[in-house]
Amino acid sequence: MITYDDVGGVHIKYLYHCRRQLWLYLRGIRPEHLNAAVQSGEAVHDTSYTRNTPVDLGAAKLDFVDGSHWVHEVKSSSRPSPADEAQGRHYCHRLHRVGIEAKGAVLHYPKTRRTQKFPYTEQAAVQAEADVEAVLAVAEAPASPDRLARSGCRGCSFTDYCWTE
Amino acid sequence: MPAAARTYWLTSPCRIRRKDESLIIERDNAANVHIPVTDVRDIVACAETDLNTAVISLLNRHRVNVHFLSYYGDYAGSLLTSDTSTSGETVAAQARTAGDPHASVAIARSIVDACAFNVRRVVDRKLLARPYTVLRESIEDSTSQAQLMGAEGTFRRSAWEVIDTKLPDWLQLNGRSRRPPRNAGNAFISYVNGITYARVLTAVRLTPLHSGIAFLHGTMERQRHSLVLDLSEMFKPLMAERLLLRMASRNQLKEHHFDRDTNQAMLSDTGRKLVVQTIRDEFAVTVTHRTLARNVAYDELLYLDALALTRHCLEGTPYKPFRIWW
Repeated sequence: MITYDDVGGVHIKYLYHCRRQLWLYLRGIRPEHLNAAVQSGEAVHDTSYTRNTPVDLGAAKLDFVDGSHWVHEVKSSSRPSPADEAQGRHYCHRLHRVGIEAKGAVLHYPKTRRTQKFPYTEQAAVQAEADVEAVLAVAEAPASPDRLARSGCRGCSFTDYCWTE
Repeated sequence: MPAAARTYWLTSPCRIRRKDESLIIERDNAANVHIPVTDVRDIVACAETDLNTAVISLLNRHRVNVHFLSYYGDYAGSLLTSDTSTSGETVAAQARTAGDPHASVAIARSIVDACAFNVRRVVDRKLLARPYTVLRESIEDSTSQAQLMGAEGTFRRSAWEVIDTKLPDWLQLNGRSRRPPRNAGNAFISYVNGITYARVLTAVRLTPLHSGIAFLHGTMERQRHSLVLDLSEMFKPLMAERLLLRMASRNQLKEHHFDRDTNQAMLSDTGRKLVVQTIRDEFAVTVTHRTLARNVAYDELLYLDALALTRHCLEGTPYKPFRIWW
């Protein structure tokens, strides 16, 4: 279905948020563009840090890399989450694979004007590798993973799909 | 359908122009209206509408469908954007389900049952109790789509008769007739059904399903979107029958709302405007959804039902077609 090199930032983000979401996303269920929160996120993306150019790594597309090889990601939420961190880590992993010694990820939260820094260590590299393998394992699964508890679905653009009866 | 954008209803003759990244609606005797294209989910053109390539490419980029109703008020066709929502895996699963006679008849059965349930709910529970039991029995015995359609037809006929008893003389249906509708009541039903069909088409195009692979109606039959025919069955009573009875009992429908010839009838311009406004407002009415635990508009119910069918095809969760629950 997908190969090692096709795993992008969104896959990693969904892996951390909800495996069911990832499974569905891989099968072409893409209700995101109908979701007001996602549209607002895109608007934040379009209007923040417009002077920098995004870097396209094929499957993954990251916001920008600065002169000293730190990966920068702009987030529209106000609360940092493990998924954000994993996404930054994955981008560093991808950069290392193409021969760029990324030092780590800097996550920007324009809403609260905070940034978070995550250096790319040995341990992070191992974790990034494990994340990619986990995505591939979910992709292979024949049956869909179960829904999260109802409270975990709040704000997710797949809620309508998963919870309509 | 999710609330990130809305439907625009064009009730007077107009021209849609493109101005940079937005739309302008030009009308003969009214000021231009500027609409940001991101606010448009789809457009229902109930009157003559001109548009050109520049508009179409903008609409396509923003995945906006335009539905056209013809001069006579029947569904004339749609300008559909490219199929960006369908997913190969889902369509394959849908085709597998439709190709399996056992699975597809099961879906068809539940659609017919839900449709009859809704008809009975909006028309008359008592008078239709007997026809409904008969229908349920014949559904049990049916083994093919044709038999199911026949059983539905029988039930529908009794329902039309019951409706006639609640309508003023001039609005009575005297049996359902289409293309062209023979009298005022039929003209109303046809018009509302056309709009419902268009709305369901929009909903289906937002899901990964293929609009041509159907379960009750023959796949790709009559060059129509057969799946849309399937799914609109449950929603027609909610809109057409219900609104007809309501507008008749409130005395909102008058004879001048229809143009009637000897053997055919259609809505007049004023009638059309009234009906479109009523339907538009009706689609915006909300009810509390039980499992989503929030208010959903009638409009959104169409989308949710199509999603439930997607889940049935892709994951095998039971599909319970829409029933009026309030």
